[in-house]
Amino acid sequence: MLIASLLFTGCSDFLDSTDNSNIAGDNFYLTEEDCKAATAPLYSKVWFHFNDKFYYGMGDGRGYNLRAPYSDYIYPFTDLNESGLTGPLVQAWESFYIVVQQANKVINGINSGSMSESVKPQYIAEARFMRGVSYYYLTMLWGNIILNENSDELVNNPIVAPSSISDAFEFVMRDLEYAAKYLPETSYATGRVNKYSAFAMLSRVYLTYAGYSDNPNSGSRNAEYLELTKKAAMKVIENKSFGLMSNYADLFKIENNNNNETLFALQWVTNSTTYGESNTIQNYFAYGSDVTGTDRAWGGATVAQPNVIWEYEQGDTRRKATWMAYGDYYPELMSDKGGLTFEYSQTQLNCKKYVCGSSKDNASITYGNTPINTYMIRLAEVYLNYAEAAFGTNISLTATKSEDDTKVTLGTNVTCNDPIAFELYKAIRTRAGLSTNGTSFTFDDLRRERRLELCLEGQYWYDMVRWAYYQQQAVLNYITGQKRNTNIPVLWDETTKTLSEDTSKDRTQRSVGDVQTKIFRLPYPESETVQNPLLKGDPIPYTFTENRITDLFNE
Amino acid sequence: MKCTIYYFKPLGLLFFLCLIPLWAFTQNITVKGVVKDVMGEPIIGASVMQKGTSNGIITDLNGSFSLNVPANATIAISFVGYKTQEIPVSGKAQLNVTLKEDTEMLDEVVVVGYGQMKRSDLTGSVVSVNSDAIKKSVITSVDQILQGRAAGVQVQANTGMPGGSSSIRIRGINSLNASNEPIFVIDGVIIDSSTGSGSDNALASINPSDIVSMDVLKDASATAIYGARAANGVIMITTKRGESGTANITYDGYVGWQEMPKKLDMMNLREYAEHRNVRSGKDYAGQDWGIVNKDNNFVRPDLLGEGTDWQDEMFSKAFMTSHNLSATGGNDKNSYAMGAGYLQQDGIAVGSGFRRLNLRGTFDSQVKSYLKMGINFAFSESKQKLTISDESLIRTALMQSPNVAVRNADGTYDGPDTDEWTQTNPVGLAMINDNRNEKMNIRANTYAEATLTKGLTFKTELSFDYGITNTYKFDPSYEFGAIVNETRTGTYSKTYNKYWSWRNIVNYNRTFGIHNINAMIGQEMQKSKWEYLYGSRTGYLSNAATDLVLGDASKATNNGNSGESSILSYFGRLFYSYNDKYLLTFTLRRDGSSKFYKDNRWGWFPSAALAWKISNESFLKDNSVINNLKLRLGWGAVGNQNVVNNAYRAIYSSVPTTWGTGLLAGNTPNPDLKWETTYSSNLGIDLNLFQNRIELIADIYYKKTKDLLLQVPLPAYVGTSSSPGATAAPWKNIGSLENKGIELTLNTVNIDKRGFQWRSNFVFSMNRNKVKEMDTPTSLIDKTNQTGSTITILTRTAVGQPIGQFYGYKVIGRFEKATDFYYKNTNGEVTPVALPEGMSIAKNSMWIGDYIFEDINKDGVINEEDRSYIGNPEPDFTFGIGNNLSYKGFDLGIYLSGSVGNEVVNWGRRELEDSHANNNLLKSALNYAQLGLIDPNGPDDYRNVQIIAGDKYACRMAGSTKTNESNYRFSNLYVEDGSYLRIQSISLGYTFPRKWMQPLGIQNLRVYCNLQNVYTFTKYNGMDPEIGSANQDALLTGFDNYRYPSPRIYTFGLNLTF
Repeated sequence: MLIASLLFTGCSDFLDSTDNSNIAGDNFYLTEEDCKAATAPLYSKVWFHFNDKFYYGMGDGRGYNLRAPYSDYIYPFTDLNESGLTGPLVQAWESFYIVVQQANKVINGINSGSMSESVKPQYIAEARFMRGVSYYYLTMLWGNIILNENSDELVNNPIVAPSSISDAFEFVMRDLEYAAKYLPETSYATGRVNKYSAFAMLSRVYLTYAGYSDNPNSGSRNAEYLELTKKAAMKVIENKSFGLMSNYADLFKIENNNNNETLFALQWVTNSTTYGESNTIQNYFAYGSDVTGTDRAWGGATVAQPNVIWEYEQGDTRRKATWMAYGDYYPELMSDKGGLTFEYSQTQLNCKKYVCGSSKDNASITYGNTPINTYMIRLAEVYLNYAEAAFGTNISLTATKSEDDTKVTLGTNVTCNDPIAFELYKAIRTRAGLSTNGTSFTFDDLRRERRLELCLEGQYWYDMVRWAYYQQQAVLNYITGQKRNTNIPVLWDETTKTLSEDTSKDRTQRSVGDVQTKIFRLPYPESETVQNPLLKGDPIPYTFTENRITDLFNE
Repeated sequence: MKCTIYYFKPLGLLFFLCLIPLWAFTQNITVKGVVKDVMGEPIIGASVMQKGTSNGIITDLNGSFSLNVPANATIAISFVGYKTQEIPVSGKAQLNVTLKEDTEMLDEVVVVGYGQMKRSDLTGSVVSVNSDAIKKSVITSVDQILQGRAAGVQVQANTGMPGGSSSIRIRGINSLNASNEPIFVIDGVIIDSSTGSGSDNALASINPSDIVSMDVLKDASATAIYGARAANGVIMITTKRGESGTANITYDGYVGWQEMPKKLDMMNLREYAEHRNVRSGKDYAGQDWGIVNKDNNFVRPDLLGEGTDWQDEMFSKAFMTSHNLSATGGNDKNSYAMGAGYLQQDGIAVGSGFRRLNLRGTFDSQVKSYLKMGINFAFSESKQKLTISDESLIRTALMQSPNVAVRNADGTYDGPDTDEWTQTNPVGLAMINDNRNEKMNIRANTYAEATLTKGLTFKTELSFDYGITNTYKFDPSYEFGAIVNETRTGTYSKTYNKYWSWRNIVNYNRTFGIHNINAMIGQEMQKSKWEYLYGSRTGYLSNAATDLVLGDASKATNNGNSGESSILSYFGRLFYSYNDKYLLTFTLRRDGSSKFYKDNRWGWFPSAALAWKISNESFLKDNSVINNLKLRLGWGAVGNQNVVNNAYRAIYSSVPTTWGTGLLAGNTPNPDLKWETTYSSNLGIDLNLFQNRIELIADIYYKKTKDLLLQVPLPAYVGTSSSPGATAAPWKNIGSLENKGIELTLNTVNIDKRGFQWRSNFVFSMNRNKVKEMDTPTSLIDKTNQTGSTITILTRTAVGQPIGQFYGYKVIGRFEKATDFYYKNTNGEVTPVALPEGMSIAKNSMWIGDYIFEDINKDGVINEEDRSYIGNPEPDFTFGIGNNLSYKGFDLGIYLSGSVGNEVVNWGRRELEDSHANNNLLKSALNYAQLGLIDPNGPDDYRNVQIIAGDKYACRMAGSTKTNESNYRFSNLYVEDGSYLRIQSISLGYTFPRKWMQPLGIQNLRVYCNLQNVYTFTKYNGMDPEIGSANQDALLTGFDNYRYPSPRIYTFGLNLTF
């Protein structure tokens, strides 16, 4: 028996375990279907910790659209007080690099995969698109960043020096240009990116990079990149498959996911079981559990800065689609009770965008999971990118405070007369229900339009960073003018639909970080600098191994 | 000391029966007599044998016997636990015998790997805890038995929750990856689980009253026989088996009450309201604090009552009871043991509780003269209520403000009506949420053992361990004030574990004159599999019935996965004893594991040990003082294979996407991964003096762990963070660490006179660890905690330092006056004192009353580079002291345990003393430094501000979040001395005299009362200084994050045998 057992176990198969819960490496990247399976998660899970809190915490919180005095995932950003240990900051950094490294793994996996060579570029382009977008965010936020195309190298030697902002932009543009060249004309599945997604992103990246130089107060922008901005934007604008939705509020309904204004949006699944696979924004935005029907409604004190409400003109339909004010009626929310009339508070406006209600309002909503797409870029922004590029190379901005300290403007004296730009600017306003006189608009008009059109879509801070690439002092003055250390008590008048300061109460003060140039560079997560002291040091040039695509606009 | 002598008894009888023919004697006489113990009580069931024959009898209820023997014979009288006496008959017809208790533990049988040994033959370091210790303390889980009773074994309960887990560390921390738990071997079968973490404890399924003894194998010469899994030590558990003789039926049972040992001193409603009024009012300079809005309900705090005491609402007296019934018995060929047990322990906190049912049986039979077979099985079912731990409701309860009521007038649960800062109703949630698990486990083991020739046996043994865990979770709809949940969610999961092993062992045991040889070779194969299935639905129509079928099918989600691992092993042991003076043990094991790549799968684990019984040398042989002196020296290597499956190969994990299943790279493979190996050396001495009145066991050891397995901490830009979608960081063999220590055990019989006996035992353990090398990018491992959105580094593990030390800032004082902001440097220049980065002297920044932190790197600014080691959770030493007194049937046991020099992070105090925070606080939070103007008409300038009241160590309350974040950063202020001395238990029992009981047919009756966790002497401010490890992570030890306090328990019980 002993001998028998020895014979039996002598067979080494006993130690080969099988795994039915994962696909082993050698069984993957064999077919085109595998490419699709590999790129699909790049639209959701990898972005989760960016989407969960940072999307709006940074874009709108730090942009000063959003106020949340009790929510430590927003106020550190609003108050310019974050550190390398602030949770959402760390999580966003992690998330961006998860996008980068998973995209790298897809690119390298497909490159060495056994599917037909002819199908490879399209999927590599899809992964490079994601990597480019992620690196764009990273360099906008942190400045010098680690650029890497193969995580296996970093695993063995993670202590590397970062690259400069211009190298990072070069990297981003190469990725997006590759994507623009090799992505298909139309998406191979609804919601997947196509050529025009890449052109749209390029319009944003070119526009941003046009203003970047060593001198943050140069007041000038690179003509070549402004031209590229317009070309990339026009590629999208002229394509008839895209158009503005007629009703602004419809953009933020689940049933309109992947409408023809969408160029790139995160695609969240319905009914996921696992943490990190669903869109959770509504949980943080919804003012109360009567809207969501669950205890996940933590947005009671996550409200509009009065500052942004005062920028809406009378009749702007975007206000109600973005913010709930006392007396506003939303038939699509609490639909089983005849709709929601917002009567939660007169002293604040709560978030409406990305609030889609309970499972009774839309069957695809489940507990804590609201599968509305998160907009990353849509056509309206491309219009505004074109319009912003049309201001030309030399821009000198000034920040001006209103006398009552409630408003601040940036660039009221800078005017754009470009007719195409004006038409695009006008189209945005017309859709919002606003009339537009004359034939020109100022830089401040454009600033306000960007802010209001894309409010709560995580954009405004990046606008400020972009402007601060060439008019840093003016942007600092603008931020100082926002008076972030002052809380203004306000009251909404239901009949006139206006917000005014409640003078019966005192303005209160709170402590915020100093408005200094360093606010444009976030601190690196502390665990990163502890592990890699080089990160804080000087950047070294990045070595690009392939040639940049130059024939994108030759036709 | 009853132990495993049973095993040998049937064998012994067998030998008598088989080998010695009955020969005829002449001149037989009948000898009559009574066998009594030293107290004069008759001993029932003692064996009276004619020496060298199978002729014998067992004493009756009066201790009497009558035996027909040759007049020149010698009779031997023996009884378990007593010294055997041999008396020549010499023609006497009446013999009255007094048996003495066998205090000599030397001949105790100790369970070692794949066999047993006499303690006197041991060459390694093995410590045993016997059933007496188990009986005399009220424990619900076997891991608790070892606490403070075994030198070198540190046991800390991770939670006081019923059914919760413990951290068990044998001789320190050997490994940097999560598990440092020893393996448990029950009746020879490795149970395929560790002690679990948090609320989950695999050992909770075992009924402590089924256990006869626990033997802890500590040094590598003892554990190496378990090779690749033994690095953290091995705990051998022996359960009851039958023995030949009269059948015994035993009942053990108790009822008890548990209560909170200590309450934190929180603010009542008046204090809370007053403090809130302060925070919403004006400060010393007439400015708004600007912390919180005024609450109009708090206009007259003096008219308010006490409000809700959330601790009283959350914690209450709780009931517990345990009943065990067992029967043992047998004859010379067959023996059996069977039993059933029931335990119910309600939790002192609402939303917790534990229930367990055990059934077990063993049967051993001498089937043929050469073949013995046996089977044993143990079934358990346990139920555990988990609401409180899952929702971290203890923290919520402490933070909930006293103005929120628990219930409305109509009895429904209330909640906060404020929208400004919401804390849910923890009592309500704990009561209405259903969150529990049910576990079933069956362990079976069957063997056949053949005697091939004299001294040569072959044993084959097959074991199974199957487990099912069902979890039930239902979140009903509710309305607590402003907090409404309309979504009812039911979540159910099932986990199925399957483990089997098969062992074949050849054993050879012979004595040739003064040479004694025991050789063993064996082979073992083990396989584990697990499966998990999960389903969840929402959209239930009511809270009444909760099965998935009642949820909305279109809102259903499900998931499932599985895995397996296996180990294949060959091993052998050679024991040689020369003249019972020089003892030698060699062991060798070769293990192959599925967790590693083919080329690195196999590992050798050798050990060697020798012992010298000095007391058997002629010069000590008849020494009247020293009756035992043994020196032990051992060396060995053991392994650790605790890595995840698939660490060596690339895998892709599925992710649901809108286009169907997507796949993401799941890990970073490392095909070079191999065993972690611990080399350990041990030098020990066993000394017994004055007829064993004093027994001293001392050991000194040195252990070095090489090729440490660790999931390498890497910067997040590598893509291996903890965020969703990340690839798992690679596992690597990254360095080495060492542990060294001293252990002492002292057992004494202090008084043994006229029936009064006082015995003491004392154990002492001291361990020091240090990381020697770490081949990671930074040679650092940081462990963090995230509260809200703030991440804090708690511990740092670095080369040249002990493991898992607390890491943070050092408070060196407080700004008391304007001049404190400056100091004169060595050149006599006035220099500003270092302020936190980005802060300046300003009321909204750094001000009078704020803390001064040590500028460690002297760069004039306080930032993350100014952190340093601020405490070590490892104790300087731990100890246990037991005293047992007995007199005429009364017995009293007092048992103390303690830990000295360990530090604890009081995380709760850090949050609950933050005078600025919007939640209920400790009363001590009111002692913040109050400021005042020096010249009341002067400006609000720091030169005109002074501290006028408050505790002299407390900082000011500040309106600015940034200031508060600076003052309440993780610093040495929250690291407290966790030393304690605990009266672990006091038990008082009375055993009724046999002569009263025998007429009732009762063999033994003892009644007792027991106090557990009686009192703790400590300077620690939290609820309980015994903390354990968070998530069983050795690098996160001593971090008190609202730990569920261990209850004080009062029990009354009885043991009855008939």
